Amino acid sequence: MSGKKIQNRVCIIIPAYNESTSIVQVITDLKSTFKKTSYDIKIVVVNDNSKDTTAILAKEQGVVVISHILNTGAGGATATGLSYAEQYNFDIAATMDADGQHDPWDVLTGINEIIKRNDDLLIGSRLINSDGMSKTKIIGNKGLSAITYILFGINSTDSQSGLRIFSRNALGQLRWKTSGYEFCSEMLWRAKQQKLRIGEYPIKAIYSEYSKSKGQNNWNGINIVRSLIKRRITEMFE
Amino acid sequence: MRYIILVILNMPIIILALFNILTQYKMNKVTKRRFQRQLILWLLILIVLICSFPFYNYLVGKPLLDSTELSLFDIFQTTAIIMLFYGANSQRQKIERTEKTIRDLHQEISIKLSIKEKQ
Repeated sequence: MSGKKIQNRVCIIIPAYNESTSIVQVITDLKSTFKKTSYDIKIVVVNDNSKDTTAILAKEQGVVVISHILNTGAGGATATGLSYAEQYNFDIAATMDADGQHDPWDVLTGINEIIKRNDDLLIGSRLINSDGMSKTKIIGNKGLSAITYILFGINSTDSQSGLRIFSRNALGQLRWKTSGYEFCSEMLWRAKQQKLRIGEYPIKAIYSEYSKSKGQNNWNGINIVRSLIKRRITEMFE
Repeated sequence: MRYIILVILNMPIIILALFNILTQYKMNKVTKRRFQRQLILWLLILIVLICSFPFYNYLVGKPLLDSTELSLFDIFQTTAIIMLFYGANSQRQKIERTEKTIRDLHQEISIKLSIKEKQ
């Protein structure tokens, strides 16, 4: 081992579905950001049965690639990544989007913050400072956060953020049932049920033409709300 | 008399549901939380059925809530609804369990295959 002091083993999970356009750039940026830090990082790309060359390109970058046999959705891919992090005893795990909308520096900030604050789940909120975000996206995200509050009683400024940092404790306890984008809200609910400490920190979202085309639209938001209501009602009979 | 038929017809379904949930809990197949919720749900249905006649008597003469007594057809219909509810509830639980098993299996296979591929 080199003289570099390893503080924490960190697993950075990137759920990806047809992200051949951006995946190489995302991995390269992450590597260069964490190069001079004391963290022992492992980048894990969860290829959710992409139809393009996402998996091949990610493998060429020398990262761990877990390929799903079936397409499960963002929730399923994230769950696989976190399960990997738990099985390999990582101290901290982080999830980020594969479309390049997250700044790797924000991932690093989040990891530093979770250690400092001693939280279990830290959400990178794009809405604490929403500069650069379109009005439609702000309304959509705020709406979904309001629905999350009404249904589950969780007060989060950005319940749909893909940038999340998990403590070892959270890795062992967090499980959710939905596999689509609605998992973002359900995860917060499960964290609350498990009495995990949930925190937030501001991040900036980088919206390129590509990330805009890949992101969720407000119609998808309606579908998320429908699924969340269904999940909430179903659980009343459990 | 008809209300007694209603209770007699529905009692076996409710006892079966309570028996099932208790067995599942004792065999550690369901969490304490789920057990408590199911217990409350079925006990509530039982109470509503037992109290249906006094409740009917109470409502007689009240504007908007006044109605005729249950016919035998109504009793069979109510029993069928409870039976369907029991069936749907247990099927949903089975589906959820299967879904979880498949999801976990898929997750494990994907992780194991990626490790095997790397070696």
